[in-house]
Amino acid sequence: MKKAAGSHRPTRMRSKNRSGFSSDQTSDTAFRSTSISFFRIFIQCMFCIGTLIVGFRFTREAHFLRASFHHPEDSFSRRTGARMGSLVSIGNRSDLDLRIQEEIANDPEAFRLENSETIIRSRVRVDVGRHAILIRPWPHPDPFEVIQAHHLIARVQMEQWQLYGSKESKPIIAITTTFVRSFQAVHLTGLLHTLSLVPVHVTWIVMEAGGVTNETAYFLSKARVHRLLHLGFGDAMPAGLKERGQLEAHMRVEGLRYVREEKMEGIVVFADESNLHSLDFFTEAQKVDWVGALSIGLLGFAGFEETAQSRIADVHQEEVGAGRRDNLFSRRTFEPQVQGPSCDSEGNLVGWHIFDPLPLEEEVYTGIMLAQNRRLEWPNFVLNARAVWKTEGNQPEWIKSWDEWATPKDGSAPDIKAILRDDKQVKVLGDCGRKVLLWWLRAEARADSRHPANWVLDENLEIIVPAKSTPWPDRPVRVPPPPPPPAAATVGTGSKRGAGSRVSGGKGRRSKRRQSRPNIS
Amino acid sequence: MVVGFLLLLLMPSSRSATSISVVDRNVVVGEMGDMLQLRKRRRRRRGHVSLLTCVVGFLFLCQVSRLAAAAVLHRHQRISGSAGDVLEDNPVGRLKVFVYELPSKYNKDWLEKDPRCLTHMFAAEEFVHDFLLTSPVRTHNPKEADWFYTPVYTTCDLMPNGLPLPFKSPRIMRSAISYISTHWPYWNRTEGADHFFVVPHDFGACFHYQEEKAIERGVLPLLKHATLVQTFGQNHHVCLKEGSIVVPPYAPPEKMQSRFIPPNTPRSIFVYFRGLFYDVGNDPEGGYYARGARAAVWENFKDNPLFDISTQHPSTYYEDMQRAIFCLCPLGWAPWSPRLVEGVIFGCIPVIIADDIVLPFADAIPWEKIGVFVAEKDVPNLDKILSSISPEQVLEKQRLLANPAMKQAMLFSQPALPGDAFHQILNGLARKLPHDPHIYLEPGQMVLNWTEGPVGDLKPW
Repeated sequence: MKKAAGSHRPTRMRSKNRSGFSSDQTSDTAFRSTSISFFRIFIQCMFCIGTLIVGFRFTREAHFLRASFHHPEDSFSRRTGARMGSLVSIGNRSDLDLRIQEEIANDPEAFRLENSETIIRSRVRVDVGRHAILIRPWPHPDPFEVIQAHHLIARVQMEQWQLYGSKESKPIIAITTTFVRSFQAVHLTGLLHTLSLVPVHVTWIVMEAGGVTNETAYFLSKARVHRLLHLGFGDAMPAGLKERGQLEAHMRVEGLRYVREEKMEGIVVFADESNLHSLDFFTEAQKVDWVGALSIGLLGFAGFEETAQSRIADVHQEEVGAGRRDNLFSRRTFEPQVQGPSCDSEGNLVGWHIFDPLPLEEEVYTGIMLAQNRRLEWPNFVLNARAVWKTEGNQPEWIKSWDEWATPKDGSAPDIKAILRDDKQVKVLGDCGRKVLLWWLRAEARADSRHPANWVLDENLEIIVPAKSTPWPDRPVRVPPPPPPPAAATVGTGSKRGAGSRVSGGKGRRSKRRQSRPNIS
Repeated sequence: MVVGFLLLLLMPSSRSATSISVVDRNVVVGEMGDMLQLRKRRRRRRGHVSLLTCVVGFLFLCQVSRLAAAAVLHRHQRISGSAGDVLEDNPVGRLKVFVYELPSKYNKDWLEKDPRCLTHMFAAEEFVHDFLLTSPVRTHNPKEADWFYTPVYTTCDLMPNGLPLPFKSPRIMRSAISYISTHWPYWNRTEGADHFFVVPHDFGACFHYQEEKAIERGVLPLLKHATLVQTFGQNHHVCLKEGSIVVPPYAPPEKMQSRFIPPNTPRSIFVYFRGLFYDVGNDPEGGYYARGARAAVWENFKDNPLFDISTQHPSTYYEDMQRAIFCLCPLGWAPWSPRLVEGVIFGCIPVIIADDIVLPFADAIPWEKIGVFVAEKDVPNLDKILSSISPEQVLEKQRLLANPAMKQAMLFSQPALPGDAFHQILNGLARKLPHDPHIYLEPGQMVLNWTEGPVGDLKPW
């Protein structure tokens, strides 16, 4: 710090020159020099005594403070070392420039020498030695700049996609089945963002069980896809899981019928809302000629933990009985649950790897895969839209016609794999099924869960009870006057909630209670 | 252009088609004299019209093909620096280099003692020697040589932790020079003006790792006239001689080239840096290391989500660089760093924070167009500066970086490939030819003072 103070002494002297007191300057300085030296000795004595009292040397701190107040050209705060904790920030760079310019305008002569000297000093060489660490007064990110940087990143990534990305850009037709329930927000939000990010044109066909509803429309309005079709399917979604699976199969066939009627071009992808897609999935799907198959990973134990644990305990009992006492969770923990095509070493399709999850109770969501029901999921397959068109002549002979596979005579749920006459013709995607681009999150709330669909509570809860955990004595609580009753009920009244009747009953009761209350206040 | 020619060829056939239809019409009209005149006029008009359509069609096709060619996305762009389009020049045939045969105590013995010299960032001196021994520019006849190379490894005296000790280097260099001046007449002929040396250490031929001491020592007096090939480059600095060739530090090419990721992996990191901000061992108070610039980067941007900066060195360092748009290359104890080479190889735009730095091969590579230069005093505004660069500029810089000639020029590849750093050094030497005739001294004329320099350097080695 002494060095810094010393280097700035010449500027201070020149500033005195500028004020014009040249004649008595010398006598002033002479007087000042003796007074300064006397002053400094006095100060040093004071510091010495202070140090003896306090117990440590604080002369450096004092010098720092003194020097910092004589540095008008500091525009940033300077931290001079790890020991100095205080940060002093003075002024703003733009103000400083303005001030310097004013001073130059006022008195150019005296300023020119000083300025040129500093300019020369800065141009000739960089100083060796200790420099200040410059920190701006608000060293935090500016949101406007962050957005600008993100625009830059997006532009760079777009350029990368154009240069190195997939050359094929067939449009994608995504068929999704949904229905209003507690977890719809969780699944549908993820899916709509994924589809919005797909770099090619996406036509999103959403089939909703129970008819078109506002809640779903609210979500879908946020999707940035090329074309959005929100279609309603008459029947409501049943509560049982097996029946749900069958209804979903019918709804998907309905979506495919729409593709068939409108003669849409592109690649049909069954984007279930509880699936997690990586964007590579859409790139990989472009490689399809007619029918493609890929692996889907299964996430979640699909149920309550204790059930799975109890199952594992059963397994453990068997293993103990057989004499193997090692890892209790060996059957469950690190086995990848992947379902899809499997190939031999040359890459030819030899079979399907169907994972058999631990069967749990019926009431919880176990997924469609039950032991006796070895079927592949619809999202395992990716179709060329032309495979379902009416012009049967264009399709290869190993693809069945629509009437053969889409409407089974016995009324059972259609299966996508039934579209194939010959399994071997399927194009296996994702490095022969080894790369998992798609994950099925088997997590659902219970069918009778009354969580609001949008995860937003617009009104108060039904019962408001004051908390009684305060240490103060009980006092009669003054309940505030109730808000005016809403004009119309905004809660959906579909049977899909499962407890719709109960809700409406509750509302009726509440309104009755409201009417009886106004006497209190 | 080809399509235009084809159309020209097709035009006569269309002309005949029109003539047939006109003849039919003439027959329908039915008057002989008028028919003849009409036919003549029509033929002339037809000739004019068809010629015009030919020319117009040709021009149109030319324009279309040119526009189409321009619209095709260029992956990389040609690089031409201040010396012209010299990055891909071939030095073979433009110069001749004579390699002195020094006793092995100057070169091979050091390697045998410590083979780490071949992998650290100063390994350029060993690889240049290796390259010149088998290069077509080498000549065994010193009389026809333009340049003379002395293979002395001054940076191979390594400490146990791997860093080179420069304390014996001046004596080693003096000893080598006295050897060549006594055994061959070519040093005394020019006092070293047509000799070149590779001195890749921190501050070049000043032979010290501390900047103040290096400035105090200055360039070794005996090397006053020689050309120095060094990694250090800073304007107006004592340790950068006029006419030196600045080269990149050595980075192992196989190690980097084996870690490429697919180019369609989106670049999602905005700014990337891994390295020290405070050198607590040598500079505990801060402000000395990197002139406070690295510490300023940390203090200003440690909580900025766009800046992926840390001291933790991950195992995916090279892969992360390929996922970043900007890579910071701030100065450390010396202004140069291998991050520049790594950034260029992995397509990450280097952000150079070192005042007055001279970058490698600065006359062949236009670094201002490729990298972003930020003054040390502007470091607190780094996020503002970087986010305000327009996307077109960023894309252009990335295109220049994608040029394979650029990546090749930064590497000391084994075996040598055309356009690599060895060739750039030779090109630089070739650009300094022909030698000024004033460098040739009269016999007996001595310019260098052999007793100049600190006393410790004068001890024989």
